Amino acid sequence: MTSKNRGAPAVPMFRRLIVANRGEVAVRIARACDLLGITPVFAVSAADRDAPYTRGRETVCIGAARSPQSYLNMQAIVQAARQRECTALHPGWGFLSENPVFAALCEAHGISFIGPSPRAMHLMGKKTPAKQAMRAAGLQLISGSDGILADVDEARAVADRVGYPVLLKAESGGGGRGMRIARGPDEVAGAYADAQAEAVAAFGDGRLYLERLVEGGRHVEIQIMADRYGDVVHIGERDCTVQRNHQKLIEESPSPVLSPDERARTLAAAVRAAASIGYVGAGTMEFLLDAGGTLRFMEMNTRLQVEHCVSEVRSGRDLVVEQIRVAAGHPLSFRQDEVELVGHAIECRINAEDPSQGFKPAPGTITRWHGPTGPDVRVDTHVESGYEVPPHYDSLLCKVITRGATRDEAADRMIAALRELVCEGVPTTVPMHLQILQSSAFRENRYDTRAIPGWPPV
Amino acid sequence: MAHVPLVPIGAAREQAADPRTFDEHRQALGELEAALQRRRVGVHAGWGDSYAARVHAKGKLTARERVARLIDPGTTPLEVGTFVNDGLVFGDNLRSPAAGVITAFCRVEGRWVMVIANDNTVASGSWWPRTPEKIERAQTMALRLRLPTIYLVDCSGLFLPEQSKSFPGATGAGHIFKKNSLLSASGVPQLAGVFGDCIAGGGYMPIISDRVYMTEQAYMVIAGAALIKGAKSQKLTSLDIGGPEVHVHLSGCADRRVPNDEVLLQCLRREVAKLPSSGADFYRGDAGAIEPAFPTHELRGLMPVDHREGYDAYQILARLVDQSLFWELMPDAGEEMICGVARLGGLYAGLIINRQGLVGDPEHPSARRPGGTLYRAGIAKISAFSRACDSDGLPIIWLQDISGFDIGVEAERQGLLAYGSNLIYTNSTNSTPMFTVLLRKASGAGYYAMAGLPYDPVVQLSTCLTRLSVMEGRTLSIATYNTKLDDNFEILSKDPDERRAIEAGMRAVEQRIEADMDPFVAARQMDTDEIVAFGELRSYLCALVEMSYQYSGYRRVKNPRIWTMHDLAVLTGGIR
Repeated sequence: MTSKNRGAPAVPMFRRLIVANRGEVAVRIARACDLLGITPVFAVSAADRDAPYTRGRETVCIGAARSPQSYLNMQAIVQAARQRECTALHPGWGFLSENPVFAALCEAHGISFIGPSPRAMHLMGKKTPAKQAMRAAGLQLISGSDGILADVDEARAVADRVGYPVLLKAESGGGGRGMRIARGPDEVAGAYADAQAEAVAAFGDGRLYLERLVEGGRHVEIQIMADRYGDVVHIGERDCTVQRNHQKLIEESPSPVLSPDERARTLAAAVRAAASIGYVGAGTMEFLLDAGGTLRFMEMNTRLQVEHCVSEVRSGRDLVVEQIRVAAGHPLSFRQDEVELVGHAIECRINAEDPSQGFKPAPGTITRWHGPTGPDVRVDTHVESGYEVPPHYDSLLCKVITRGATRDEAADRMIAALRELVCEGVPTTVPMHLQILQSSAFRENRYDTRAIPGWPPV
Repeated sequence: MAHVPLVPIGAAREQAADPRTFDEHRQALGELEAALQRRRVGVHAGWGDSYAARVHAKGKLTARERVARLIDPGTTPLEVGTFVNDGLVFGDNLRSPAAGVITAFCRVEGRWVMVIANDNTVASGSWWPRTPEKIERAQTMALRLRLPTIYLVDCSGLFLPEQSKSFPGATGAGHIFKKNSLLSASGVPQLAGVFGDCIAGGGYMPIISDRVYMTEQAYMVIAGAALIKGAKSQKLTSLDIGGPEVHVHLSGCADRRVPNDEVLLQCLRREVAKLPSSGADFYRGDAGAIEPAFPTHELRGLMPVDHREGYDAYQILARLVDQSLFWELMPDAGEEMICGVARLGGLYAGLIINRQGLVGDPEHPSARRPGGTLYRAGIAKISAFSRACDSDGLPIIWLQDISGFDIGVEAERQGLLAYGSNLIYTNSTNSTPMFTVLLRKASGAGYYAMAGLPYDPVVQLSTCLTRLSVMEGRTLSIATYNTKLDDNFEILSKDPDERRAIEAGMRAVEQRIEADMDPFVAARQMDTDEIVAFGELRSYLCALVEMSYQYSGYRRVKNPRIWTMHDLAVLTGGIR
């Protein structure tokens, strides 16, 4: 690729875009830029300055290796964007992608932020207002309190109504703090007091809400895309139940256990809900699929997600290109009835971690890398032979996505692809994925978020 | 660049304050604000349950119940003048909570309006000393912001035993009707609901309004039946003389008759729905109202109760403005003042706040001098900023925590009298809405310079920490005992008895003015409009700013591209 594209963009829009992220997603964004005729400029930390994916590309160094000084440094990134005459910024996922202050800062300085408005991002980042907005739009929630609890008496009343066990949660909470379980009526007062005390100490805000504790259940999410003119479409759902410590390992589409009626109802409601808050861009609504087969709204991720590829493979649509188009003011390039979801797709996230050593991250140099290829196999990666995996960031090496006519066919293709993958020099999680994909628990859908099917091996 | 280059300010609580100090401040201020809340509840109770029961027995609602039903569901009124007459007694040991009238900014059909409701649980809604002034103050606020004004009239006229204090003066009851007239002449819609016995002044209250509704129990009369010859033998009541039969049908002084309070309030809501809708969303552009990145409730832990203790003014601003984003103008000049632009509820406003602690001196680079004071460059800066906000149509929010002007030989030679007068001239002749908050110290010339009440801000708010007076207690005691003190204001005498006497004397002087500084004293005599808790400050400010943009046909509002602010930033060397 030439380093400067001086001609007019292929589609009339931004000419230069700053990629405010690193690794695999930076490659992904640059690929979409190339398709649109936009020149991507990589914002890199000192540790990524010589990353292979920046070879031959424009880069701007935004700070030292540690994320707070670079990829989380709002002002440095905005300054870099202006300095390099970029009129758009793609935040990727993680880092500042869901920071409404950063989104507002970009806009205040004339940089179009690829994503929803700061207001929509802020709204969906706050638990009870987000849930209230989504419920008003017709989505089911986990039963619980209607917003903030007035006092412990209300907590007890709500808990009695929705049934035990219940979770008392801090409105301003995060990282699992300000949360207590009450398994019976006599535990409510104590749980309320403890959760509130912890919340006040940790966040200065003792407001609590209450939810039924749903143990187990499956994680299902819906991909939506919206333009600035009120049009919203979905690109199907993904099932991300195979997780370890709330980190997704395998994602697939369609969800193998979702009833067609529940799917149709929730997809339609999700589209309405996104429209009701004036959402723009790509977004994912996350649900808990409970034992009764009902999808219950948990939260919305107001950004592109790692596993967006799964939806791309089934639909044939390029979500990053669409994100950039809608940010530039284009209407959606396809209607809902033009979204065709074909076959079954599975994605495996391959990390530089050793499953036999408790998944300890193992940065180092990849002495030899060979990614699998073939029809119905897609590999999204930023690594190559000789790549030094830096210790400062997450350990994702690549994503392998396969498609098949059926789930089994997709899983079999994935096994073949993973066996073809060569990564020498750092350990990977491939052996664990192979175990999972071959297990009867996985193939027969006998698992939920509490345990990884087929792992550890018996 | 013609962008508004807002940047993040402030830091999370963990970086902004140490936990023990934070908790101490939060406790101390919490106690004061709990007392504020208790006093409010006391005022809201009017003359008590038995009077409310009397009102209900007649099939009517109390004034506060009427307001509650008038406003949009889920909203709360932002009251002003709650503590007027608080603690004062009139006539036969009678009190007049809220001066017998409720004045509040309310949301009705998505628009901000001013509601003026006579309190029918307090002497049948009659007018006490200062009631007319309180009503006029609310009308002035409405006029300044062109807010539709709704009168919920239930007023038996003047409280006669005190008529000499409420009838004759320039701001006496008659002036209410002049204000009515001025509102109308400025095209501000006025609506009146008549709910009860409206005699004399009460009778005149609704008439200038554009639409007047009466309930079947309401009457309006210049004088009641008691003063009409022959009324007794003819068995005429005031309702016969001035009820809906007369005024809706015969005299035309009212437009519509309705069965009761509840229906009347719904009628008023329907009228408001016909008025022009708010322009605020238009002026928001692509922004929405977004809370600060750091919670407003943390203000309680960051404001020291002891006025001699400093704090970081940026941390206060960061907890008031949207997303804690702020564009500071002219940061390199006048270090003792911070001024800049931020969004409040998605709308742009100019903010000015005193920096506490020590600041540098441009004339003596190695010296430090106290903040919370105005020096030459700070005065010049905020004067220019105030003019720029007026030029750009930005509402200005003055956040005061100021001991006064610099004094002494150098200060006089520099001409602070003149610089200060320039600033006062600017503020006196501004037409953009200005709102003043007395965060803590509001002393002497500083209070004046930063648009205190004498300079007609649309609203002035106090907090539980406000210290409003011509000077601090210590300054006054130094002035009083000047002959007994040395160069450094220490007591000259070495005699222990004399020292004790002087110390006691100085303490007494301090305490006396200290008592003057009680925010409730100011609120009682209308030297401030309302006392608010720190956690409520942002709600008030966002509402007041939104009101400033609701109807803008009467004032200038420039789009940000062409602000005078940009000229100031270029000329003072900001990064452009």
